Amino acid sequence: MFISIDADKCMGHGRCYAVAPDLLSDDDEGFVAQRGQCWEIPEGLLGQAEEAADACPEGAIAVLETAPSNA
Amino acid sequence: MTETTHRGCPVAHTDFTGTAPLYEHYKMLDNDREQARFLFNDTTDRGFFMLQRYDDVRDGFQQHDTWTTAVRSALRPNTASDPLLPQDLNGQEHVKLRRILNQFFAPAAVRRMEPMAQQRCIELIEELKPAGSCDFVAEFAIRYPTDMFLALLGLPVSDGEQFLEWSDEYFSALLAGDPAGATTAKASIMNYFDEAVNERRANPRDPKEDMVTRLVQARIDDVPLTQDEILTICLTLMLAGLDTTRSALGFIYTHLAQHDADRQAIIDDPTLIPKAVEEFLRLYPLVFQAGREVQEPQEFNGVELEKGDVVWLGIAQANRDPRKFDNPDEFDVNRPNVNQHIAFGGGPHRCLGMHLARLELKIVLEEWHKRIPEYRITPGTELRERGVQLSMAALPLEWEV
Ligand code: HEM
Ligand code: SF4
Repeated sequence: MFISIDADKCMGHGRCYAVAPDLLSDDDEGFVAQRGQCWEIPEGLLGQAEEAADACPEGAIAVLETAPSNA
Repeated sequence: MTETTHRGCPVAHTDFTGTAPLYEHYKMLDNDREQARFLFNDTTDRGFFMLQRYDDVRDGFQQHDTWTTAVRSALRPNTASDPLLPQDLNGQEHVKLRRILNQFFAPAAVRRMEPMAQQRCIELIEELKPAGSCDFVAEFAIRYPTDMFLALLGLPVSDGEQFLEWSDEYFSALLAGDPAGATTAKASIMNYFDEAVNERRANPRDPKEDMVTRLVQARIDDVPLTQDEILTICLTLMLAGLDTTRSALGFIYTHLAQHDADRQAIIDDPTLIPKAVEEFLRLYPLVFQAGREVQEPQEFNGVELEKGDVVWLGIAQANRDPRKFDNPDEFDVNRPNVNQHIAFGGGPHRCLGMHLARLELKIVLEEWHKRIPEYRITPGTELRERGVQLSMAALPLEWEV
């Protein structure tokens, strides 16, 4: 499973890294540091990834079965 | 009443600007939302198209390329003479200024303020506690964010009382749509900021930690901010940060004073407080709408919008939309999707102070309940709320000493 964060949609609400501290972190402007990235979710962190996706008020985070072809 | 529909939207006449019994505005807002997906409200000179459901409101906040803050509030569409920064900027200009400001309001920066925020909060509570009663709004809920605001600007907290008088006067005039009614108060505030900024020009501090120093030294495309711009930023932070936090505290304490089980839950387990704060922000949104002005003709989910139209982004209606949040009228500290509430707005203008506001609310709930766990609203009190942007004029509380 993959997690992908849309850099254009992320506005720095900071809900995702609050609920998924082992998967995501914040930069010094308050955006998620991993914005614009798509990567394979490490073992055991699928729950946090799903919580992060559900916590984002901008709908910027997606949890995907497969890596998108352009990634 | 001249028309019943306007470009296909039912026309509504609900007036959201008056003072009313507590929670009355939520009833009006919920009512309008359930009447039709989109409404055209004709109570202002320009009128406004109301987006009311969660999905539409969020979508609206994300239309920032063509919907700008040339109108900031659908209820007060003609405020061009009262500049605010960063609100009034849009597009890349806005992004560049936010980039400078964000680093003082990001969670990492706000964490640096925590020890000071906690200490000041304890002092204020200890000062009130022996009396056994207070007007929570005037004696606590506005003083605390005012002190925090001064601290953020690196100014002495001892100026708080004087400062509060000016800011209250100016803010009330602005909300009433009559900024000219408070020119003296505004002049005093601007004068005060002017001195502070000049002091920092003369004696710069570490620009990584001190916001005013950073503003003085910052360059956008190689051009420094003007003195006027810096003063406008200070004024904006004051207008955006004080009344909102006071108001949030008023609604939260009204709820806790009347719901023993919810209060007991956070006393028994203070680690619930951050989640409770989010749920309070969802349930009692006080900035209940944001405005935008349409810059290009556009169809939005079936509504034909024209250049110059005013759009209402119904924050409170979205937060209380049953299509998004089950039993939206209930306080549920374990609500699974609470983080998606949009009490702080969305898109590039999302509240700059959200992480600071969250910290302040969390600290107050923690420290207050350690010291004054039991309290009640003074019997016989009639609670009321101001329109435009909700706030309570008074909240008398009492407790045993
Ligand atoms: C519970 C407290 C607060 C609430 C509910 C709140 C709500 C909001 C909302 C809804 C917006 C978006 C307006 C729009 O999109 O047009 C906003 C913007 C803003 N808020 Fe807050 N706010 C709060 C506290 C604060 C604090 C403490 C500060 C600063 C010290 C602050 C500073 C700002 C600024 C500067 C903006 C404009 C951002 C921009 O346009 O880029 N707010 N706030
Ligand atoms: S919750 Fe969403 S908007 Fe906020 S930082 Fe995370 S991805 Fe960005």
